[in-house]
Amino acid sequence: MNEIEIHLAVNGIPRTIQSEPGCTLLEVLRDKLGLTGTKEGCGAGDCGACVVVMDGQAVNACLVLAAQAEGTQIITVEGLAQDGNLHPLQSYFAEKWALQCGFCTPGMLMSCYALLLNNPNPNPEEIRDAISGNLCRCGSYQSVVEAVLATVKFSQEARGG
Amino acid sequence: MVDYSVIGRRADAVRSREIVTGQALYCPDIRLPQMLVGKLLYSRLPCARITRLDVSEARKLPGVVTVLTSRDIPGENSYCYALPADQPLLVPDMVRYQGDALAAVAAESEEAAQAALDTIQVEYEPLEGVYDVLEAMQPGAHQVWSDRGNIVDHLVIDHGDIDLGFKQADLIIEHIYLTPLVEHAFMETEGAVAYRDADGTMVVYSSCQAPHRDRAQIARSLGLPENQVRVITPHIGGAFGGKDEAHVQIHAALLAQASGRPVKIIRSREESILTHVKRHPVIIRYRSGITRDGILTAVHAEAIGDTGPYLNAGRDVMNFVAATLSGPYFVPHARLESYTVFTNNPICGAMRGYGIPQASFACEAQMDLLARSINMDPLEIRLRNGLETGMLVPTGVTIREGRGMKVCLQEAAHLSGWKEHDKEDRKPAPHLRRGWGMASIWFSIGMGRNIPDHATATLEMTLDGSVILHTGAADMGQGAHTALAQMAAEAIGVKIEAVKVIGPDTDRTFDAGPSVASRQTFISGNAVLRAAQPIREALLQTASEITGLPLEILQLKQGLVLAEDELLSLTVSELAVKAMEQNRRLHADGYYAMEYPEPLPPNSYRYAPSVFTFGTQVAQVLVDIETGQVTLEKLVAVQDAGKVINPAGARGQVEGGVIMGLGYALMEELLVYRGSTQNLNLGSYLIPTAKDVPGLVVKLMEIPEPYAPYGAKGLGEPPLTPTAPAILNAVVDAIGIPLYRIPLTPERILAAIEAHHAENPPNGD
Repeated sequence: MNEIEIHLAVNGIPRTIQSEPGCTLLEVLRDKLGLTGTKEGCGAGDCGACVVVMDGQAVNACLVLAAQAEGTQIITVEGLAQDGNLHPLQSYFAEKWALQCGFCTPGMLMSCYALLLNNPNPNPEEIRDAISGNLCRCGSYQSVVEAVLATVKFSQEARGG
Repeated sequence: MVDYSVIGRRADAVRSREIVTGQALYCPDIRLPQMLVGKLLYSRLPCARITRLDVSEARKLPGVVTVLTSRDIPGENSYCYALPADQPLLVPDMVRYQGDALAAVAAESEEAAQAALDTIQVEYEPLEGVYDVLEAMQPGAHQVWSDRGNIVDHLVIDHGDIDLGFKQADLIIEHIYLTPLVEHAFMETEGAVAYRDADGTMVVYSSCQAPHRDRAQIARSLGLPENQVRVITPHIGGAFGGKDEAHVQIHAALLAQASGRPVKIIRSREESILTHVKRHPVIIRYRSGITRDGILTAVHAEAIGDTGPYLNAGRDVMNFVAATLSGPYFVPHARLESYTVFTNNPICGAMRGYGIPQASFACEAQMDLLARSINMDPLEIRLRNGLETGMLVPTGVTIREGRGMKVCLQEAAHLSGWKEHDKEDRKPAPHLRRGWGMASIWFSIGMGRNIPDHATATLEMTLDGSVILHTGAADMGQGAHTALAQMAAEAIGVKIEAVKVIGPDTDRTFDAGPSVASRQTFISGNAVLRAAQPIREALLQTASEITGLPLEILQLKQGLVLAEDELLSLTVSELAVKAMEQNRRLHADGYYAMEYPEPLPPNSYRYAPSVFTFGTQVAQVLVDIETGQVTLEKLVAVQDAGKVINPAGARGQVEGGVIMGLGYALMEELLVYRGSTQNLNLGSYLIPTAKDVPGLVVKLMEIPEPYAPYGAKGLGEPPLTPTAPAILNAVVDAIGIPLYRIPLTPERILAAIEAHHAENPPNGD
């Protein structure tokens, strides 16, 4: 099969990828770039384990063809921490025990990250809406909401507001 | 009150930084050089004879390295969770359910592996099969096995004089309750990676709950001694009982052995739902006798469980149903029965609760109907009959510590404002009805008598005073490793940050048994305490020698050395160095096996457990009587923990359990038509999302359990158990119509309302 060439930026690093036309963004991230933090839970867009942020929006990477990611900016869970410092969302997920088995956590984090990009001060209902596509069988939803609220509070205090 | 410095306090989850940064490796994330993709060919037919299985063309395909059938297995061709080991790894002649595997392939790529599966030629003679559990019990039904009968087990637990008990009753009530077939839906599907190392050891990374049992099973099927098999658990993405029995780890090892290359098998979501064991659908006929004062005189309950075609944990689960059916109540006369029945439906076995959710559902729905029949408050009937310490239960066991039943019940009633409910708005709109319901449970911790139930833990102190804990206990997200680390830190006297946990690796950790039955806090916890004791003693002995102070006044706490309350200028590291110089050992194994010192009366239930935990939940629901939609508005969960080791983790277990229980009550049901599973993905098998979960009020009670580490007992499974009956009772309260079946789908609610109106036409219309 003829491969196609795709250009995208992943966690700020420009990448050129040779990919089969049917290849998904999830396969590019996991198999071609070795970024296995993004998980596959169903391969059908049902579970949200593979959520990444594409041009500022949360997407299920298993439903995005690699070709559709041409020219986009992708952020994955590996791109949240900067210079070894955890992003506040990551810190509060750990502090609030917003995780149990951790398999949904990368997708959950990225849905929350996209939410805060677009709505820096969400209320609990908006947080629940934002993570409603992220299944967590361990049932950590309540702690996830608390972790996001703590992140919002921290960010507001950091900005002096 | 003992002043603990580590347990009962906040701790970070072990390896949480790995999780939030995406560095945590789960089986699908493991990549090895030259690694092949493994896949299994599943029958997809529920009942057929295999007349031809030809893999010769598949073997010739480019990129295909190995194709195995039942003829290519060097050792035993079976899983062996229970005996007789009846489920083949690769079926030779007959398929008995859709998830039976016929062949295993290893190929250079996913595509090549799939091409091999597509090329394997199979011809079947379809057989009729049996798909209805009641039909399977009838004479003349299709026999799942020609020589075993469909009723594989019938347990009867007899207690007191059942006829006398019903004679003493003023009122006898009998109903039939139904529970659904339920899927675990762990977020990480089953997976394994296997390779043979240079010295010939078969190394298997396995997403599992029972690493040492995996090792035994892999060795048995590969024809290797157990010390030539090494099972390691990487991060595990949830399990809930569904990764207790082996899944693909034996196949991965067989393929790695045959191909000489690393092999990874990851089940797709569809394969996962198709193959692994489920929670039994159970039919329960429940007959209770009660006095006018609301005192139970007798219970006769029979449970029939459709276990699918293989034994797995089916009989054990159904036995737990029977042993639990009388509920957390004193029942002087009881007959509790369970039938385990073969069919050609999906296999049923372990799932969070192990039969106790089904039994509790029937018992608690019945308790509310009993209360209604004598016009008694559901709280009052539970208080009048609730178990207490020292009471005899039908299995022949006397309750060791039973205060939790009424303590949790009263606390849940208090927190939910149970007595004030009637004042609130029961009919907030013409089409809406609000109601409240409660459910209480008892839940046994550990495997039960006469079943191996032991663990070893190893602790090692380094010369800088830090500690390494080796445990063979799998942590699938329930937090076992964090709780064990906290107990190790407390017991030695160091900070939690000083303890590092090495998880299951059968070359480096001893057997801790499976992470099931809510047992690791209790069993591995006691093993940790036993390992810690000699290390602490060696350190304190050394401190006594250095300071000349008597041993009795010396303490280690959070890494500090104290004489009574006075801080000494000594560090744990200095003590460790000195102890080593004095030839004192700073590492130790602790071994613990569940104790049953109380004798059982003759003819008692052979596997009777003796450790129980209790809990009560109160649900508030809103029912739309036009659409049948049920909304859980609020839920109060009060659960006895014995002692909370890790507050955040404990809360997570209760909340997660309640959410799974909410799914059980309202939405989850695997639909199987004549052996064919209909909802094979998470778009059609619905589990609760963040939008389904109401405000949860969680409270943990601490009533120390005898023999338990710091009094702590398990929390993994119990909190799931009261949720479904509490919700059902709340819906019944809201609409005033009895209900006997979960899940409470809108269709079922509407049907119940229509049937009720047909039988009871409104006056004047």
